[in-house]
Amino acid sequence: MKLTLTLFTALLITLSGFAQSGSTLTGTVTDDANNQLVGVKVVVAGTTRGALTDSEGNYEIEVNNGDELLFSYFGYETQSVTYNGQASINITLAEDISQLDEVVVVGYGTRKKSHNTGAISQVDGGDIAAIQANRVDDALAGKLAGVLIQNQDGAPGADPKIQIRAASSISGASNPLIVVDGYPISGSLATVNPNDIQSIEVLKDAASAAIYGSRGANGVILVTTKKGTSGRAKMSYNAYISTASKYVSDNINPTSGEWAATIEAGIADGTFDVSEMDPELLNYRLNAFKNSPDVMAVEDWLFRTGYSTNHDLSISGGTDDMSYFASLGYLNTQGIAITQGFERYNARINVNAKLNKRFSTGLNVNGFIGNRDMVGHDMRDLLRAYSVHPVYHTEASIAFVQQLDQQAQALGLSGFDNGFRGGSDAPWNSSIATLEPGMTAQDWHYGRSGNGIGGSGDAGPATKLDNTDRYQNTIFGNVSSFLQFQIIEGLNLKTVLGADVRDTRDFFWRGLEFDSRARSTQTALDQTDLKRSSVLSETTLNFAKTLGGHDISAVAGLEFQNFYINGISLNGTNVPYGQPQNFALLDPADIAISERRETIARQSVFGRINYAYDNRYLASVSLRRDGDSRFGANNRFETFPAFSLGWNIHNEAFFNSNFLSDFKLRFSRGSLGTTAFLGAYNSLSLLNPQATLFGNGFLIPSDIANPDLTWQTNTETNYGINLGFLNNRFRIGVDYYTSVIEDILINQSVSEVLGTTSIALNSGDVKSSGLEFEVGATVVNNGAFLWNLSGNLSTVNSEITDLGGLDELPRTIYGQSGRGPVFRNYVGGQIGEMWGLETISPVEMVWVADPTRNNGINSGESYVVDQNDDGVIDRTRTVEEGGDLVKIGQNTPDFYWGLNSQMSYKDFDLSFQLQGSHGAEVFNIDPLYFNSQWGGRLRSSFDDNGDGIADHNGEHYERNRNQTDAMIQDASYVALRNVTLGYNLVNKLGLSSARIYVASTNLLYLMASDYTSFNPEGVEITNSGYLGPTTYGVQVGASPVVRSFTFGVNVNFN
Amino acid sequence: MRIISILLVSLLFIVACEDLEQFPPNIASSNSLTDYEGVLNAAYFYQHGSVTPLAVMGDFRADNAFMFEAPYTEFDLFGPNLTTMEDQFFGPFYTALYKSILSANNVITNSENPTEVAEAKFLRGLSYFKLVKVFGDVPVNLSPEPSATDESILTRQPATNVYNNVIIPDLEDAIAGLGTKIVDGRASKYAAQGILGKVYLQMGEFANAEPHLAAVINGAAAAGISLQANFEDIFGEANDLNSEIIFATQISSSISDEYGFSEFWSWSGGLDTKSLNPLEQDLVDAFNANPGDLRAAVSIDTATMSSPKFPQTGGPDHDWIELRLADVMLMYAEALNETDAAPETVLDVLDPIRTRAGLAPLDHTALDSKALIRQAIQDERRLELAFEGQRWFDLVRTGTVDAEMGQSINSNYHLFPIPISEVLASFGVITQNDGY
Repeated sequence: MKLTLTLFTALLITLSGFAQSGSTLTGTVTDDANNQLVGVKVVVAGTTRGALTDSEGNYEIEVNNGDELLFSYFGYETQSVTYNGQASINITLAEDISQLDEVVVVGYGTRKKSHNTGAISQVDGGDIAAIQANRVDDALAGKLAGVLIQNQDGAPGADPKIQIRAASSISGASNPLIVVDGYPISGSLATVNPNDIQSIEVLKDAASAAIYGSRGANGVILVTTKKGTSGRAKMSYNAYISTASKYVSDNINPTSGEWAATIEAGIADGTFDVSEMDPELLNYRLNAFKNSPDVMAVEDWLFRTGYSTNHDLSISGGTDDMSYFASLGYLNTQGIAITQGFERYNARINVNAKLNKRFSTGLNVNGFIGNRDMVGHDMRDLLRAYSVHPVYHTEASIAFVQQLDQQAQALGLSGFDNGFRGGSDAPWNSSIATLEPGMTAQDWHYGRSGNGIGGSGDAGPATKLDNTDRYQNTIFGNVSSFLQFQIIEGLNLKTVLGADVRDTRDFFWRGLEFDSRARSTQTALDQTDLKRSSVLSETTLNFAKTLGGHDISAVAGLEFQNFYINGISLNGTNVPYGQPQNFALLDPADIAISERRETIARQSVFGRINYAYDNRYLASVSLRRDGDSRFGANNRFETFPAFSLGWNIHNEAFFNSNFLSDFKLRFSRGSLGTTAFLGAYNSLSLLNPQATLFGNGFLIPSDIANPDLTWQTNTETNYGINLGFLNNRFRIGVDYYTSVIEDILINQSVSEVLGTTSIALNSGDVKSSGLEFEVGATVVNNGAFLWNLSGNLSTVNSEITDLGGLDELPRTIYGQSGRGPVFRNYVGGQIGEMWGLETISPVEMVWVADPTRNNGINSGESYVVDQNDDGVIDRTRTVEEGGDLVKIGQNTPDFYWGLNSQMSYKDFDLSFQLQGSHGAEVFNIDPLYFNSQWGGRLRSSFDDNGDGIADHNGEHYERNRNQTDAMIQDASYVALRNVTLGYNLVNKLGLSSARIYVASTNLLYLMASDYTSFNPEGVEITNSGYLGPTTYGVQVGASPVVRSFTFGVNVNFN
Repeated sequence: MRIISILLVSLLFIVACEDLEQFPPNIASSNSLTDYEGVLNAAYFYQHGSVTPLAVMGDFRADNAFMFEAPYTEFDLFGPNLTTMEDQFFGPFYTALYKSILSANNVITNSENPTEVAEAKFLRGLSYFKLVKVFGDVPVNLSPEPSATDESILTRQPATNVYNNVIIPDLEDAIAGLGTKIVDGRASKYAAQGILGKVYLQMGEFANAEPHLAAVINGAAAAGISLQANFEDIFGEANDLNSEIIFATQISSSISDEYGFSEFWSWSGGLDTKSLNPLEQDLVDAFNANPGDLRAAVSIDTATMSSPKFPQTGGPDHDWIELRLADVMLMYAEALNETDAAPETVLDVLDPIRTRAGLAPLDHTALDSKALIRQAIQDERRLELAFEGQRWFDLVRTGTVDAEMGQSINSNYHLFPIPISEVLASFGVITQNDGY
């Protein structure tokens, strides 16, 4: 702090040093009502000379003849006056109407903010650029009430989860519709360069989104990119570099030395009992743990310091008839886990032109290339390797394993070479006798846990990672153009034609050496190429007219959008060893080919009328009718109506308050539909081709034909109030909504007797509600120092109210290899509740027969409550039903919040962004692998007759993995998402402005004390059996939360 | 000007308007098929998913092999926690067989080709037989497009009903509809007849089993089925579809498989880290009791305490033997014995097997009672068929689990647990087996 102050003072001195000798000008600045304005900034244009008005509105500044003076003040229009020797210059600043009555972008148009009747959150592009996030969604995290943005995956280039209000689907992802400059894109927000953004509007309530009909159910994010303005060309250049590391710096898994210390301490204090062990074996193991040389913790090897470099360049400008904005962006990230990386290129050109009095046209082109390098193997499995050896052998470690092997054999244990199962013909080193320094250390080099200390008998983590390769390349392009024709003043016909293409390649290779058993069936060469494209044609008729106090605008339109998915997927096996990764080198019979050719067609007609009377009474009505080819032949069309009302009470004659400057009530109700997770042909029963020994086979269709498959409809009611105090210096917004989803689309699991694990059905209703608070304040505004603070808090409650006659959906255990909770979805409950057995306490280590086998943190077993005292632990039925299942957790937060602060003092700016989420839980599977994967090795005296009841205390016990609450952890967090400190260098080197800044993401990240992995936001959604939100909340090896530090510059020329 | 713009606009509509009736150009729909060969191929394909589970249940549950690593040790513990193994064994086993059944149902209902229908019936009978052996009572569905709301197809039917109403009629139809020659390893008349014999043995209906097994043995030579001269020439990739094999689930490493866990041979071969030395001493002792048995070297390796019967070399291409001639001969001897045939008649049947093993024929003067012969046949089966997934099911079928395993095992654990996911997905209509 002291340093900052010193620096600051030094800068002030420097600035004053620039003042030249000339005349001293004085004057007073007032507003329309002749109030003196305090803190108005007065600067000589093109110089750094400046002054502020004092408490009486007076200023004093050094000037020369011909200087242009600029008077600026927040909320007022900036005025300029040229000094020609006047004795004094008094200025009256006018309120800036455009700032006080901004415009919000809504579907197919815009509306004055004061006329808005829906629940729409707006973020200014400047706020996004100011914090210099890698991607747009990161910048939005914590900024908006009712919008939860979380790093479900966490790897560089991975899309975060964006959830607007309550989940609208219980089976599909709840990703909102992304509309960029009016075009609903098939890519994610990642395709938009954060520096290109003019503004972002999030349509949260149904009435606002209803104009998007069946696509708006998850909310709509409207992105408006920058346009040029008439005048000289402006160029802007941004660049930054950053370094990153994983936030949780401590290692989760102990190394062998730490592990030996734990064992010895346990033996000493009696918490470990080794009486059933052969003392020689115990000695041998402890010595091995303690003396293993060059041990490296797997985490220290896998994680590293990552870095990013980023460059963005944009040019904009125009004439009276034409404007342009063009930008290029490049980002290169090396991830914090080895092999992780992300590279991105963005390009954009926006051109708008007036062709003549009546015609205007525009063209937007956006391109994106993203290359993601991913960790090629399950991080959970890499991290579970025992840290008892180096990752690459050294001379010391080779000598060590060789003598350890001798020791083992002297004890009568089998030689370590037996652990290698590759067969003597495996084309790589197959004996510990022939190791050389630099070779990867395999787990089996150290024996198995029965005869050595190597644990799994697998290949070592470096071998696993070196013999895999996984990447995803994306090329995205979007072109849209419009032609607008003014029929008469206020009536425009606009037609939009556009297309986008997203071409992705997913590549995965796993070589023979990956498998310690050298099975060629475990090798893989997989490549999936998918081209998703869409063509959009949209024609709207816009009308806007103000007649006295009546302000009417209306839009009517027709829209066609078709989606095409074309792709081919090659899955190779028996991949030749030591050869390039090329399909041509495989036996053609070893390559399975599958092909996708899909078309989805949509047809829509829509209309909306907005009406405002005298800025007091506001109304909006909209209607949309959609047809979609994905639905069953019987149910392709649906109509979605909406209306909303608002009342600007502060504009009423009877309402006259200087204190309360804005007082608006809003009400809206609308219905939306969604196609949720449906693919192109879910309503059809199709035979998937598959190669069999006897030629082509037709597999069991994964869908059962359902001609009644139809829209799920979401009817939402929103109540809102906006308050503004003291000329809107303090602002409060509160929204409360209830939503009823009917005919909800679900993936209902069914008996395998039907040939499939789940079927798509419209079945049931879900009711949800939520409260959202937004507060904002201009805490300080005296010209030199400006501080804006805003905060938001949201709650979400949802309840399943009907399941098409069922009381409950079939229960599912989802997780990793049978480890996971029982997911319940029942009438009266929330979506995706996790149920399981209630544990009393862990089974003590003293009951583990050989506590030195695993890394000794816990027994992996717990005593569990027999809820109904019937002597049996039943993991399929609830207590009510006579079993022992109780609710153990759920992944929906009770509430989440954000706090954002932006300060500027003279040429400094400081902003931060806090985000918190509370009350969500994860079923964390990592500890089952990291600490105690060998549960179930209890001494026989623990439960002599094997009836599942501990003999010493009469309690039932169960492995933690078997649906127990021992794996439930609190996933709450508070994250300082971003903090940025910037300094503006004004007018040096002929630049119009330049700013340097330092920033940090996740500088502080608080996790719950019982959370033991790297990322509480992580949720596994890719394992087999995942059915959507009904099975959401399990965590397995999530990529860590990353902390980064950034240094950057923004430079503007004009 | 206005007209031009309206024209322009209407042109754009046409550009992007597609019909809402969409159908993929490259995929067949289940109700547009005219040729059911591909569906029948899928019914064969799905059998693959039952192989590894059968291998583990058949030998690791019994006294031939054991697991080392928890929780796999549950196979040797006979307690409720075997459900933990559902994910890798009972679940995929169940799924694969019901998919095979659905594919077979489709062929049986819709195909007009009698050979295809007969093959489908064989596969359906075989699938239900595997299910009943493992789970006891099971759901029965005979429709190609079962209704998702029809609870009756989910209710577990008593095993006897499944035998009498599905398995036996299906196999009888297959016998009637199939030729004796084995083509490409597809189902044949003798495959159906041999399996039907096994079904009757399982049911304890020895008199019904005897003529079917006799028919296979008598017709074998004409159909090109014969015992291999060397025991070792029966097993492994190099010997796939040899003359002794009556029916095998063929496996190729090139054909991707829905069962993604492990290959059957890796378990007995000690190649899985969950049990690196799986061979039980009890089986070693059984071989040692027959000095000079040539099958010992092929079946067990006492240095590594594992089985080399299905070696690692060629592993991913080893077929899974469902039925071979020696098995039929052993079953035939058993049926004869149980129907009170003379000891010499019974034991004569086993001579070729004994001779091939380098052993002297069994002596009917020493084995002069039905009970002694029963034991001799059972011992012979154990040595002949070790690590072919038979042992546990033989013990259960003959009621000798406790005697042979040397421990008292709750009969609840003669059957395996129904996948919990099935109990959950059917709202408890599909019930769990007692004891789990």
